[in-house]
Amino acid sequence: MNKSMNIREKRFVAIAAAIALVFGLTPVANAMHIMEGYLPAGFCIAWGAICIPFLIAGYMSIRKTLKENPKTITLLAMAGAYVFVLSSLKIPSVTGSCSHMTGTGLGAILFGPTAVSILGIIVLIFQAILLAHGGLTTLGANTFSMAIAGPFVTYGIFVLCKKIKVNKHLGVFLAAAIGDLFTYCVTAFQLAMAYPSESGGVGVSVVKFLLVFAPTQLPLAIIEGILTVVIIIGLETYASSELAELGYLAGGVK
Amino acid sequence: MENSLAKWISFFRAGNKGEDQKTHRQEKHHHRIGHKHGEGSAIDFYAYASKIRHWNPTFKVIFSLITLLLVILLNNPLVSLVVIISMAYLTVIKGGLPLGAYISVLMIPITFIILGTIAIGIDFSSLPMGQFNLFIGFGYVFTSADKLQEMAFLMLKVFGAISAMIMMTLSTPSSEIIGVLRKAHVPKLIIELMNLIYRYIFILLDVFNNMRNSADSRQGYGDFKTSCYTFGSVASNMLVVSLKKANAYYTAMEARGYEGDLIFLEEEKKMAVSHLIIGAAFIIFLILLRIMTPWEG
Amino acid sequence: MREPILKFSNLYYRYGNGNPALDGISVDIYQGEKIAVIGSNGSGKSTFFLNANGVLKADHGEISYQGTIINKKNVRELRKNIGIVFQDADNQIIASTVMAEVGFGPMNLKLPKAEVIQRVDEALTYMNILDFKDRPPHYLSGGEKKRVTIADVIAMKSEVIIFDEPTAALDPLNAQMLEEVLGKLGAEGKTMLISTHDVDFAYRWAERAMVFNQGKIIADGTPLEIFQNREILEQANLKRPVMLDVYEMLIEKEMVENTNAYPTTPQALRDLLVNTALSAGKA
Repeated sequence: MNKSMNIREKRFVAIAAAIALVFGLTPVANAMHIMEGYLPAGFCIAWGAICIPFLIAGYMSIRKTLKENPKTITLLAMAGAYVFVLSSLKIPSVTGSCSHMTGTGLGAILFGPTAVSILGIIVLIFQAILLAHGGLTTLGANTFSMAIAGPFVTYGIFVLCKKIKVNKHLGVFLAAAIGDLFTYCVTAFQLAMAYPSESGGVGVSVVKFLLVFAPTQLPLAIIEGILTVVIIIGLETYASSELAELGYLAGGVK
Repeated sequence: MENSLAKWISFFRAGNKGEDQKTHRQEKHHHRIGHKHGEGSAIDFYAYASKIRHWNPTFKVIFSLITLLLVILLNNPLVSLVVIISMAYLTVIKGGLPLGAYISVLMIPITFIILGTIAIGIDFSSLPMGQFNLFIGFGYVFTSADKLQEMAFLMLKVFGAISAMIMMTLSTPSSEIIGVLRKAHVPKLIIELMNLIYRYIFILLDVFNNMRNSADSRQGYGDFKTSCYTFGSVASNMLVVSLKKANAYYTAMEARGYEGDLIFLEEEKKMAVSHLIIGAAFIIFLILLRIMTPWEG
Repeated sequence: MREPILKFSNLYYRYGNGNPALDGISVDIYQGEKIAVIGSNGSGKSTFFLNANGVLKADHGEISYQGTIINKKNVRELRKNIGIVFQDADNQIIASTVMAEVGFGPMNLKLPKAEVIQRVDEALTYMNILDFKDRPPHYLSGGEKKRVTIADVIAMKSEVIIFDEPTAALDPLNAQMLEEVLGKLGAEGKTMLISTHDVDFAYRWAERAMVFNQGKIIADGTPLEIFQNREILEQANLKRPVMLDVYEMLIEKEMVENTNAYPTTPQALRDLLVNTALSAGKA
């Protein structure tokens, strides 16, 4: 009895230490970029292939916009730079650790999800190059979760909320927060596919990844939602004419 | 019970605070070397300062990508280890990047790596399985020596892959990387957007820094609620500024004869034959290493 | 009578549905002139410049460059021969290395690459920033960025160079550097138009001054004529240059003889005072 207590205690200390390590070493809680080297080659290629139709659609839509109005090139580039800068900024946090927005949800609401897929992949490349967030071989997987799945869900919820006449700001909050959560779920799924659990396959593995990343990702989704609402309110109050200009970039707020 | 919880929380907070101070110090450190780049990217700054910046960018990009792919495809801990050491040699000794700075860049994704690896190494089951297990009320958390080894090898692989990638990013400015992509026939529109976005990122960072400082000077980051409000206002203001700048930019481009094709002058950097030979030898060595070692990753 | 290098006749321009930004501008500009363009914010100076360079297309009126009327087909001639240095360097610099930035204009002129490289080197040497060639603009200081934007225009070998409020954000040292560059360009016979709120600078640098007010040119003459015209100064909300005030005070108090040799710099005033003292000594 005494001995087993001892083992229990030891285990408890070990797990507590592991948790402390995780939290103590969490200066940066990013949106979940899958790091370089995490995915086996097959998965890198597969996720990249899945992105291609979306990217082609985005490319075509951007090219059409540019043909109609060549001036949009600087506007699009600014939008891309804006999403990058927004995602690289430390956001306010309660715990004192520092975290970042994805910014693609706001991007989807403002610029439309098709344009965001192309801007998103460029932003992801720059995040890999300039910030060492994410990677080049995992670019396909990250593009799918952050520049395609998340933004499309965000945009869908935003439009849905507008249709069923939910309060606009609540709609923006839900769109951004759920989009963020969806990105997180997709990433967990991508990791689980690559690393299925021995005992229960992909299903159990998804649960593991969701659980492990929940402490950083759940608060982040809420904060992303709040900040997106605050930004939209700010834009509505003193930039309505600029918002109208963004209408170009395919089906934004307008 | 509550007491111990409170203690844990305060322990976490203390841990966080320590980390905060550490990151803060690092930032100050970066700020000192990186003249006038505010909250910009340290990696970008190091790339311009690198002593191997003059190496042919196409060589660096291709070499780094092949190495990266080999780390993933060969999936061998020894290969990973060799890559980690040789990339560190290239970046730190050849490139002249201070070791501390190199390690701090290498450690950027550490959160993800620790969490991700734990999730892979530990498994749940309703029955006690594996060599090490722990009953947690509704089931067992378990792992095994094999799993632990897999975790360790995975970490090596991830660090190998990251060090291959940052060898490139810490020695090649983004404008040169974009130039390589252009030569690789990435669509022109994407190249143009990348060039503009890269430039605008730094302009917006400047705009942001000015706004943040002005908000900070008026106690805009007093508590969490104010911080959120300030962050949102600064961010929306930044969007307005960036839209105005987008127009001003287009005008300035037209004034210098822009007619729809964004073409930049690029400097040709000679490809050194010795680099090609050493690079090829290194790659062959990695492949041989994989053949000679028995490990399956 | 020599032919004007740039001739504007009856130019009208309006943004959207607002008041006209240019309301019937007619003016001739001759080779080698040093012109200060003054007037309050929103008086039409920048719109005028963008029309002069062909970026904006006037609603009515026409522009001719060296006797050729500019139409849609030859607007490139304007872009090529009239260069603008914009007020905010960060709204102008678009490339990620100084070399690519300065080469942007010549590349757009579709020049052969060897010539582009040569022009870039010349322009950087001219501005004394050849060492910055490989640097990215985001690690340059404000004054350094300004030099790069001037090199941008020098590399295009424009005949006419327009500076939009060049002194606005410069520290004294860089402002001095700018005046030296302006002197050098002037000595080479370049035609220059500079918009400025710094009346002292306009008074000492320019040979000719134009005053813009609500889209019209309300005065055009030597700086001295304009700054002595109280009515114009009041209408355009301008101050008088300090040197002009000082000189007139000295004459009023009969401390110097009125020779109409208006000094525009402290050095010229000093010389004048020394000469006066000398001649007083002789007498």
